[in-house]
Parts: sequence; structure tokens; C-alpha cells
Amino acid sequence: MEASKRQLAMVMDLNKCIGCQTCTIACKRLWTRDEGMEYMWWNTVNTQPGRGTPRDWEMSGGGFENGVAKPGKLPTRGEFGDAWEYNHKDVFYGGKGKKAHLEIQGTKPEWGPNWDEDQGGGEYPNSYYFYLPRICNHCTHPACLEACPRKAIEKNAENGIVTVNEDSCRGYRFCMEACPYKKIYFNQAAKVSQKCIFCFPRIEQGVANACARQCPGRVRFVGYRDDVNAPIYKLVDKWKVAIPLHPEYGTEPNVFYVPPLAPAAFDENGEIDESRSRIPIEYLESLFGPAVNDSLATLKTEMEKSRNGEKSELIDLLIAYKWKEMFGGFDKDPATIEWVKS
Amino acid sequence: MRAVYASAELDSLLDSESAPWRAQASESIQLIGTPAGLQPTEAIRASYTGKVIGATTSVRVRALHNGDVLAFRLEWEDPHEDNALLDNDSFPDAAAIALPAVADAPLVLMGAPGKPVNAWYWRADEPNSARHVTAEGLGTSRTLDVDVVKARGVWKEGRWNVVIARAMNVTVPGAARITPGSDTGFGVAIWEGSHKERAGIKAFSGDWKVLTIDPTHAGGAA
Repeated sequence: MEASKRQLAMVMDLNKCIGCQTCTIACKRLWTRDEGMEYMWWNTVNTQPGRGTPRDWEMSGGGFENGVAKPGKLPTRGEFGDAWEYNHKDVFYGGKGKKAHLEIQGTKPEWGPNWDEDQGGGEYPNSYYFYLPRICNHCTHPACLEACPRKAIEKNAENGIVTVNEDSCRGYRFCMEACPYKKIYFNQAAKVSQKCIFCFPRIEQGVANACARQCPGRVRFVGYRDDVNAPIYKLVDKWKVAIPLHPEYGTEPNVFYVPPLAPAAFDENGEIDESRSRIPIEYLESLFGPAVNDSLATLKTEMEKSRNGEKSELIDLLIAYKWKEMFGGFDKDPATIEWVKS
Repeated sequence: MRAVYASAELDSLLDSESAPWRAQASESIQLIGTPAGLQPTEAIRASYTGKVIGATTSVRVRALHNGDVLAFRLEWEDPHEDNALLDNDSFPDAAAIALPAVADAPLVLMGAPGKPVNAWYWRADEPNSARHVTAEGLGTSRTLDVDVVKARGVWKEGRWNVVIARAMNVTVPGAARITPGSDTGFGVAIWEGSHKERAGIKAFSGDWKVLTIDPTHAGGAA
């Protein structure tokens, strides 16, 4: 595989994510409403610590170990959380008034795409959690692409977006096994694998991804990695505060996270211990690797500067005073474009 | 093995229980698993090294032609009918016939550049259709069309009976052309869905077997 000329990337600031799932619904409404896509959530937001979506995906293998492909698990629909059936017709049109209530039909589910929401970890008074939004990482070294025997997965040479060519895909699902982030879904109706497309039809028109543009918390930055004047470059390469999730998976993700700061922990006497965060650093290291330490240190330093009335480019960027400047030039209003479904 | 001439309509050839097939003796062909080392991607090789590939160990094969169409009937034991994609980890049973599109196409490598192997591929989730496939090396298979190859598969009492047939004289590039009264090589592959066999993970018959296509009107089964 030849390297892409440029790489589109996303930065998500976990300090701002409120777990509202607007991104999830923006994506769902736009891309995964066809038959066979009912259980798909190309964008998920899960509570950390947690088992995630699909359940225990972090223990499902795939990716690379020392540069060598590592066998991975094929997640079932149940592990993804499946699509629950409801008695919508009965409730809304059945003429039963208040006697009919919304209920899940069929077998009672034992897992869902956001099953362990807000459970988190730690012991009171040091309990903690944060939200982790995830999409396909559009990796520089995509395990899915390399696993496919039919070369049905393509990495766009111009912008690095990774897509499944559904004309070539025969539904063998080696990509699902190989993706260590478990962000590929199988469509049983279309008999092909499907995944986040980084909203490339919007990107082509200069419109930012739906998940990013719809985010009420201004969590997501979009743009080219090498655009030195735009936020992605500044957050990832200049300030080095945005770092990839599970870099040890070896796929070189192009989604980066600003790790979560948290209030100081309480000590055994109930006193605030400024030396420790409520979120154990070991946990953050398990997600983001050792780079999380430098990232958090930089964030704290720059926040302190800002508190003292000094100018901080980093903090101004993260606050995102100007919403449109988050999108690296992909800031067109989608309502101004005439969309044609081909 | 012989492909015996039978004066039969296509419908009759596609029915594995029809008189022409019943009159025809079968030949048992031993199958072996494809080597993990020959899988086309590192991820697949890593996943299957040290694992058993090729759950189906033998297949009974018969062949007939009616002057226009060559048909293979494949019969194999399979206690588990996998005919639907029930979940992400569910795979259908499948079978295929391989033929050389040019005389010296290497079967074990699924062809080579400029030397395509032609496959007639049937899958249990689409039991009454088949794909016409060409390949010029491991991991290069692509569908030529989905209507030239005719097939019908029936699972009953722990056995699959699948007939895969195609007009002998087709002009599609990459397709094998077969002439009555001559020999051709052929190969068989079976995928066992319950073992998650798909793509290059399959049981196959090794190198080319010889199939003698009887001349048309040569007698044989009625």
C-alpha cells in the first residue's frame, strides 16, 4: 500500500464530551438507516472505564504486535448490542392510549451499544468516569485493509480515508477480525462489511463530518494532519496534547484524543490530594500509552498560564471560540449544498 | 473422470435427483485443506497457522453434458446445513468447480498472471444461483458475471447435493471453453460454513483432475 499524499484526521477533546450521543445520532440518521444496518453505530460513545462496544473490544485482538498481524475475534451482533425491536406501532398507532407502553420485543437483551453508561470505575469518594467517542480511525497502517484477501478495502490516496468497496467485498469478514478497534460491521442483508466513511461525500463538498459539525460540546476538530495553520496539526504535532487511542495496536490511528483531566482525588482523610487525579494515571496510560503523561502536563501548564491571565494558544484552541475554525476549512453549511444521492 | 453425454434439458441437469444423474456413477475425490502459508494476507496466515483447514474430507462427483451445457453434481456429507447469514460469525456452506481458462493455468495457486483459473462458485445462502469467477493468482478472484453459471443446491438428511452447470462454449474473457470429445482439467473446493470457512480457507482436491468430455451423441446415459 502506498502512503496517502495527505491524511484527514480528527481530534476529540475528551474534557468536553458530555456523552449526549448527538454525534451518534447525527451519524445514524445520515448513514446507517438501510436494511441490515439496524445494529450499526459507526459512531459510538461509551463510558470509561467500561466494556465498550462491542463488549470487551479491547480484549478482542487484531492489529499488529511488533509489526506482525495479530489474530482477532469476530464480534457478534449481540456483542455489538444488536438492534432492539420495540412495539412502536402498538404504542403510537394501536389506539390503546396510556395502556400501551414502549417495551422491547422478543428476548430480553443482555447487552446494548451503551449498556454500561455512567457506571465508570473507582470507589467513592474517588469514583470517576469519562466518555470516549469512537469512529473508525482511518489508520495509516489499516489492519482491515491488509487483512482483506480481495483488496476490497481502499485507503484514498488523496486524503487517507479508508473505505470498503462494496463491489469487491464478498462478506468474508477478515477485516472485522483484523480491526483491533472493532469498528467494522457486517451487513447481513447486503452481505458486505460496512464502516465509517469519514463522511467523505460531505468532505468532498467542503462540509465537516456530521459527528463533528453536530457536536454541541465543540469536542471534535477536523482537518488535514499537515495543515500547519489548522487545529489538528497544532494539537497533534505542535502541542502534542492529542494522542491516539491504544497506539500499541500498531495501526497508527488518525483519530486523536485530548485526554481527560479530572478533579484531584480525596485522600484517606477526606482531604483533597492535589498530587493525584481522580482518574488513575495507570488507567489513562492503559488507553493512551505513556504519552498521556506529557499531554496532561502540557494541558495543566497551559491552563495555569491561562488562569494567570496569560495568552495560551493551546487553551484558546481547545475552547474553540470560533466554531467554524475547528473544521480545517471544511466549514461549509450543508444546507447550502444541493445533495444528490447517486 | 468422464463427463457423459446425456440428452437432457438444463432443468433436468440442475435436478440432482433426475434420471440422468441417477444413471450416472459417482467418483469419490479426496479433499485436503489449503495450506495456511498460502493464504493471501498475513492476517489470515496468522489466524490459521496451526489450525485445521478443510473440514470436508471427500466429495462424490459426477459429470454430465448435453452438448451445450456441462454439469457437475457434487455430493458430500455435512451434518450441519449452513444456508443463511444468521450473525456476524455465521458463514454459508459453499462449493466450486475450477477449470483452466488456459491450458497451463496453475490450480494450486488459483492461476497466475495471464493464466487465469475459471471458477463456478455456489453458496448455500443463494442456493439457486452461482457466480462465474476468474482468478490469476491467490487473492485475485473476481466475479465475471452472476448469470452464466447455473446451480441448484439441496441439503437433505446430512448431505449436500449441488449441481453446478455452465454452457461449454462461452466467449467471456477469463472463462474456460470446453469442447465435447476432449479432455479438460478440473478441481473441486468445498467450504464448511460451521467452521467459518470462506475465501481461501477451504477443502480442495489438489492439482488438476482429468475430465474426459464425451463426444456429443456418444451414447452414455440416456
